[in-house]
Amino acid sequence: MKTPNTTSTREAWILCLILGIIMLNFPFLQIFNTDRSIFGIPILIFYFFIGWPISILVIILFVNRLQQEEDDKDESRDEEKP
Amino acid sequence: MISPLIVALISIGYFALLFAVAYYADAQRKVGRSLINNPYIYSLSLAVYCTSWTYYGSVGRAATSGLDFLPIYLGPTLIAFTWWFLLRKMVRVSKEQNIVSIADFISSRYDRSPWIGALVTLIAVLGIMPYIALQLKAVARTFDLLVSPTTVSEVGLQNLFPTLPTYVDTAFMMALILSLFGVLFGARHLDASERHEGLVAAIAFESIVKLVAFVTVGLFVTFGLFDGFGDIFSRFSQQFPERLSLFRLDTAAIPYTKWFTLTFASMMAIMFLPRQFHIMIIENADERHIKDAMWRFPAYIFLINLFVIPIALGGLLLNGGDTSQADYFVINLPLAAGHHWLALLVFIGGFSASAGMVMVSSVTLSTMILNHLVMPLILRLKVDIRDFSAILINLKRFGIIGVVFLGYLYYRVIGDSYALVNMGLISFMAAAQFAPAVIGGLYWKRANKKAAMAGLSLGFILWFYTLLVPSFVLSGWMESSILDQGPFGIDLLRPLQLFGLAGFDIWTNALFWTMFFNLGAFLFLSFFCKQKTTEQEQARHFVDVYGEHLIPEQRRRISKAPTIMEFVELMSKFIGEKPANAAISSYLSGQEINSRGSLADHEIPALKGFTERTLAGYVGSAPAKIIIDNYLSTRGSEMEDVFDIFGTVTLSRTASREQLSVLYEAAKIVSRSSDLDKTLHGLLKLLMQQFKFDLCVIRFLDEQSMTLAVKAQMGMTSKHFGESERNLDMETYIGAAFLSNTASVVNDTEYLDKPESSQIIHREKIKSFAHAPIVVEGEPVGVLSAFSRTSKGIFTDEFVALFNNLARQVGIAWRNHQQLIELLNAREQERDLQIAKTIQMSLLPTGIPEFSNVDLAGLCVPAHQVGGDYYDFIRRSNGTLDLVIGDVSGHSIGSALIMAETRTFIQAMRQIEQPYAMLDALNRFFCEDLSRAELFVTMFYLQYNPESGRLLYANAGHNNPVLWRSQSRVYEMLDGDGMILGIKPDIDFEQRETRLEEDDILVLYTDGVTEAENVDGQFFGEARLQSLIEEYRQLPAKELIDQILEQIRLFTGNRHFNDDISLVVMKVIHQNPRISATQTEPDN
Repeated sequence: MKTPNTTSTREAWILCLILGIIMLNFPFLQIFNTDRSIFGIPILIFYFFIGWPISILVIILFVNRLQQEEDDKDESRDEEKP
Repeated sequence: MISPLIVALISIGYFALLFAVAYYADAQRKVGRSLINNPYIYSLSLAVYCTSWTYYGSVGRAATSGLDFLPIYLGPTLIAFTWWFLLRKMVRVSKEQNIVSIADFISSRYDRSPWIGALVTLIAVLGIMPYIALQLKAVARTFDLLVSPTTVSEVGLQNLFPTLPTYVDTAFMMALILSLFGVLFGARHLDASERHEGLVAAIAFESIVKLVAFVTVGLFVTFGLFDGFGDIFSRFSQQFPERLSLFRLDTAAIPYTKWFTLTFASMMAIMFLPRQFHIMIIENADERHIKDAMWRFPAYIFLINLFVIPIALGGLLLNGGDTSQADYFVINLPLAAGHHWLALLVFIGGFSASAGMVMVSSVTLSTMILNHLVMPLILRLKVDIRDFSAILINLKRFGIIGVVFLGYLYYRVIGDSYALVNMGLISFMAAAQFAPAVIGGLYWKRANKKAAMAGLSLGFILWFYTLLVPSFVLSGWMESSILDQGPFGIDLLRPLQLFGLAGFDIWTNALFWTMFFNLGAFLFLSFFCKQKTTEQEQARHFVDVYGEHLIPEQRRRISKAPTIMEFVELMSKFIGEKPANAAISSYLSGQEINSRGSLADHEIPALKGFTERTLAGYVGSAPAKIIIDNYLSTRGSEMEDVFDIFGTVTLSRTASREQLSVLYEAAKIVSRSSDLDKTLHGLLKLLMQQFKFDLCVIRFLDEQSMTLAVKAQMGMTSKHFGESERNLDMETYIGAAFLSNTASVVNDTEYLDKPESSQIIHREKIKSFAHAPIVVEGEPVGVLSAFSRTSKGIFTDEFVALFNNLARQVGIAWRNHQQLIELLNAREQERDLQIAKTIQMSLLPTGIPEFSNVDLAGLCVPAHQVGGDYYDFIRRSNGTLDLVIGDVSGHSIGSALIMAETRTFIQAMRQIEQPYAMLDALNRFFCEDLSRAELFVTMFYLQYNPESGRLLYANAGHNNPVLWRSQSRVYEMLDGDGMILGIKPDIDFEQRETRLEEDDILVLYTDGVTEAENVDGQFFGEARLQSLIEEYRQLPAKELIDQILEQIRLFTGNRHFNDDISLVVMKVIHQNPRISATQTEPDN
């Protein structure tokens, strides 16, 4: 069943997806597409290999949120039972 | 150089380890402790995505063109954001529909179309072929590198074993080994729903091995050979300042369009590559695992990519910038550094990456080939095989080997002309072709079969043209002029600059044009084509998978339904006896089973659905549907809509307005008139007007001649064949329609397979026709036929459904008519009985002759059905009293008339004095009439002289009267020899004589008395009658009769009797009966 909660989560997921696609494409990438480097590492590569774990972190946060929602739902269902 | 023996031994040891893991997982599953039902294993198994392309190819890519290896992994990270709804929905749908592969998934969504299944299979097999070739190439190459790094040739194996024939190179051996692996892990036995826990466990294990190996070599290069990331980058910038573009985008090698294309392709590939689909969806044990996989899998690919650039740069630094061997830096670097064991670990890791991919791909592709190419063919050709299950598993094994060797073939053809990554990307593009059909099918109900078919076909053709053809050209297998000048010199058709779209790389060009046509056709046809009912139902199952059970299942039944056992037999034929029995018993445990050990009528369609889903788990849904449909149609069974109480037809929601209005009109005609001819005429007129047929005929079965006789017809004149009756056999279409209880439809009379029919059809220039059986309560009673001289192909599926419904309306009219006839008959019979009853009652004596010393009473209680009971008292002039009781057989006016005649005869022939003579005269007079009317009469005739007390009597087969002797207190049964009247003219009736004393009681009765039956089926009998007479002997005759009647009623427990009851009681009394009566009254 679709509850308002899951719908909003779904919207958040799609938002992240779109954001991700934007941040991994022209013209956003053009920002980092220079010869500069950080700690001796070319900035574009640095961007990818820092941005990537961050995006994974975002997914983890979302998944935890999802887990919480589910637990809440289970609890409320348990309460309804008796 | 490492000794080949060691490499071989280590490899074999590793095979054994993998197999042990798989075996352990299978064993654990059997005891109910599923290993793979675990989010870690699920996430790891998804890493089957990382093949030797990742393992070797990424480094090669990073060293030669730069960052364009990254989108292949960024794409999956991005699409992971959608998994919680997209992937979960796919998993849910697949579980509900028992889906076993991506071909199954797509074909299921689109009306279980076998064509779509076959097309998807074809795309998948051809699409994955380069990918498998890539794995073979990588494993073979690295093996050769390990054993003979100096001669970097394809034929390292040949250096070692010069005796081997030339075609047996390392790649061949690898193909052999990997296909055996596929058979061992994926096709040891037939599995329900294509779950292979052992395989998944092995894949997960391999994922760990390849990650560990790659990270180890990464650490070794970064921190062993160099001094960390910064050191590698700075040394590289110093040594190769001209190659800094490797760290940049928007370069000649990686324009942004290509970057986008690769990201998009990899997003689609991770979802729709057959092996990914299999691991992510089919092997998913629990939807909740998706949540964990959403970040663990991206984390895995992040880790495995972390060292790609350092290894690539390190390789370039150490090889002086030579990129020719860049694909193998991963293994070359440790080898060059003398770390043979590390190189061996890398080889094992690379082997893991390849083996995992080849195993899963070959198993899934083999399943798809079997289910969507081989099975439909077998089923269509109606090959009669007793036990399919054994053949299925062997076909599957052959399929696995075949798929791997197809990859080998591609490798031999394309060989070295393509880098690893490029070969893989061809496959990614093929997988992307499934995206519109899958995603559209999941979220858009209008997406339909034609649209999917067109989209997939166009996408496939363009993929082949823009990617596969160039790869053939590059390998020299095709003329290069196609690329340069276009086929036949047509410039616009150059595969790499299709339709003049120049300036893009090969991938962008291919992606754009495949998607343009694929998605375009898909959207366009979905908008403009209609779906069939079944298709819409499937669409709802996919799109509304979370809201299931919201749509009430249409109530349907199967005529001539197979029994449970027959369903089990059908299943065992395909999946083996044991699994079939297990499946059915688990199903039936949740079902109510009636007393006959079978399922209720309305449960059978559910069982059919279950059988289909179970079969689908083994052979895919499209073949399962074909199997079930074939089976039911050979039995003559048919799914039919359930009639509701109004007798109207439950139609699917989608019947068009026109169809509904025709049916509505038909229902109105049927209900309007009770005259069958008028109704049939009305229905035919409707049919003719609405559909412009040239002839419509309704025939009903004539049960006497067993032919189909014309009841009504319209169109063509009488000399045509619509007039004639038809024999009931399978030689004609109409006979076949009737006998098989299914419509026979011929849309083009050019193609007729029944010679008997074709002659007449061709003579009348009929172009198309259909016969639909007129069915009443599941049994055919006639046939509705329609013929057209003008058009072919009128009878579409929709129209045949409508036509069948009209035939059912005719059936309703026929049933109504039959009921009316029965009702009229019943009324007629009732009137008949009423007359008979009136006659009978009028014949019984109205008064009782008075005698001073005889107390006389008589009674006849007619039953519901009139019998021919009769009694009479006749007072003769000489003072004697004649008592007659008789029973005419039959319950009709005829019997009543015979009775009347009998009475008249007896009354008129009073001059005959003796009882025997009276019976004799009666018999002679009536014998002929009676035997002609097939009736007979039983009769007892007595003559009592109240003066003398003498009683004469004769019997004609009647029940023996009871005589109660008051003095001796005994019963006597009066009897005399004599046959029933009406048997033969000459009968000797014996006459006997006795003398009655005072208070003697004589009781005459008909068989309605003694044969009165109680609920237990016992008869009232003579004994009860006798004891009643004794008990109530004091009562006057009239009251005695009442008592007896009351007791019979009590005995039967019913106010009404089944047969007439007649009683005559005569008591011999003292001179004054009134005194006797008053004396007994107080007792009463």
